[in-house]
Amino acid sequence: MSQSFFIQFGASLAAVAALVALAAWAKIAKPMTPLTDERARTLLEQEFPGRRLERIWVAVDGRGALAKSGAAALVLCEVGDGYVARHIPWGQAVASSFRDGVLRLDLSDVAAPLARLALLNWPPSPEPRAA
Amino acid sequence: MKLDPVTLATPFFILAIVLEIVLARLGRARAAYEPRDTAASLLMGLGSTAAGLVTGGLAAAAALYAYQHRLFDIPMTALWAWVVIFLLEDLTYYWFHRLSHERRIWWAAHVNHHSSQHYNLSTALRQTWTGGVAGTWALWLPLAFLGFPPAMIAIQKGISLVYQFWIHTEAIGRTPRWFEAVFNTPSHHRVHHARNPRYLDRNYAGILIVWDKLFGTFQPELDEEPCRYGIVKNLGDFNLLRVAFHEWAGMARDVAAHPRHALGYIFGRPGWSHDGSRDTSRSLRADWAARALSAEESPPP
Ligand SMILES: [Zn+2]
Ligand SMILES: [Zn+2]
Repeated sequence: MSQSFFIQFGASLAAVAALVALAAWAKIAKPMTPLTDERARTLLEQEFPGRRLERIWVAVDGRGALAKSGAAALVLCEVGDGYVARHIPWGQAVASSFRDGVLRLDLSDVAAPLARLALLNWPPSPEPRAA
Repeated sequence: MKLDPVTLATPFFILAIVLEIVLARLGRARAAYEPRDTAASLLMGLGSTAAGLVTGGLAAAAALYAYQHRLFDIPMTALWAWVVIFLLEDLTYYWFHRLSHERRIWWAAHVNHHSSQHYNLSTALRQTWTGGVAGTWALWLPLAFLGFPPAMIAIQKGISLVYQFWIHTEAIGRTPRWFEAVFNTPSHHRVHHARNPRYLDRNYAGILIVWDKLFGTFQPELDEEPCRYGIVKNLGDFNLLRVAFHEWAGMARDVAAHPRHALGYIFGRPGWSHDGSRDTSRSLRADWAARALSAEESPPP
């Protein structure tokens, strides 16, 4: 690799840093508000069209949600100014570790390995209230 | 290297991004930037130029070899030759791009361009690190074998890449109808980056949208269905290694877990699984179409 390549690479790296700083200064990310029950349902319907949501838990900080749909747990998590969604077996969600108010869900996916949801308690009471 | 259109255009890329951000900040243009997403996209672009150096030599040598065994002598100075290579390179790009979406091994190299949930000028620079390894450059070898000088092919490829920069924006709504009819535009390419089921795997065009119309993959952007950007299964963070390699890792994992179905997991459609437990673009589109149809058929309440 030539010296001119390294000069060009270094200059490009500086330009990247400047552009990222500009983007941070501009504060033009998509507006994010804590999830409400209704908004979480809308997003879950977009991600899993046609799936019936039997019960839904919205994170206490509004940064995610979890729903039971048949034998599956539908998981929604905030990432930056967007969301990432996955489904895992319900039994696995119930058995997931819950410590200090945070439920840690293993999503078994290289693209999104782990979801964290702040909840009041977990696992849920076996007697589901009407959803 | 002085003729490389991408290098020549880089200052323009930077200025255009600055302009898009500033106009959005002033409320004069539609654009959203999330700094970590912007950093990931721009660093993917920078990394791809470095990755290109590693595998670029092999691709260039192959092109030179094909050219040495060429069928015709095509002069780089003739206008007709530029018209022909413009069309043939763009056609090659269409099939390269379609293959990159329809077969997992090539999707693994291309997915990073789609994994941003944003659609702005920085997304255009979110380029692959593994395209050289995936070997899709071989699709351009027939042009050299036909007799187009490798330098001419490289310049036309660069022109196409530079053209595709400006269409990665929400700041431009629709261009004049005649232009939308012939060329790839921000509107057409927004559809290509959308994860709405009805928009999946549509509008593969480089410069001319006519190829999609010809081969049945065209989908206009619809006002009633705003684009939601990203991939079917979005990424869990902005980690650059995840952006660059997650699909390769996922593919390796699947092959290791189901070696008897290795070919399907490598050359099948993205989302293919041996037990049919996962979704492909086709199944998602079919589900969507079935739901749309039943919604149409059911009487209004
Ligand atoms: Zn694509
Ligand atoms: Zn694109």
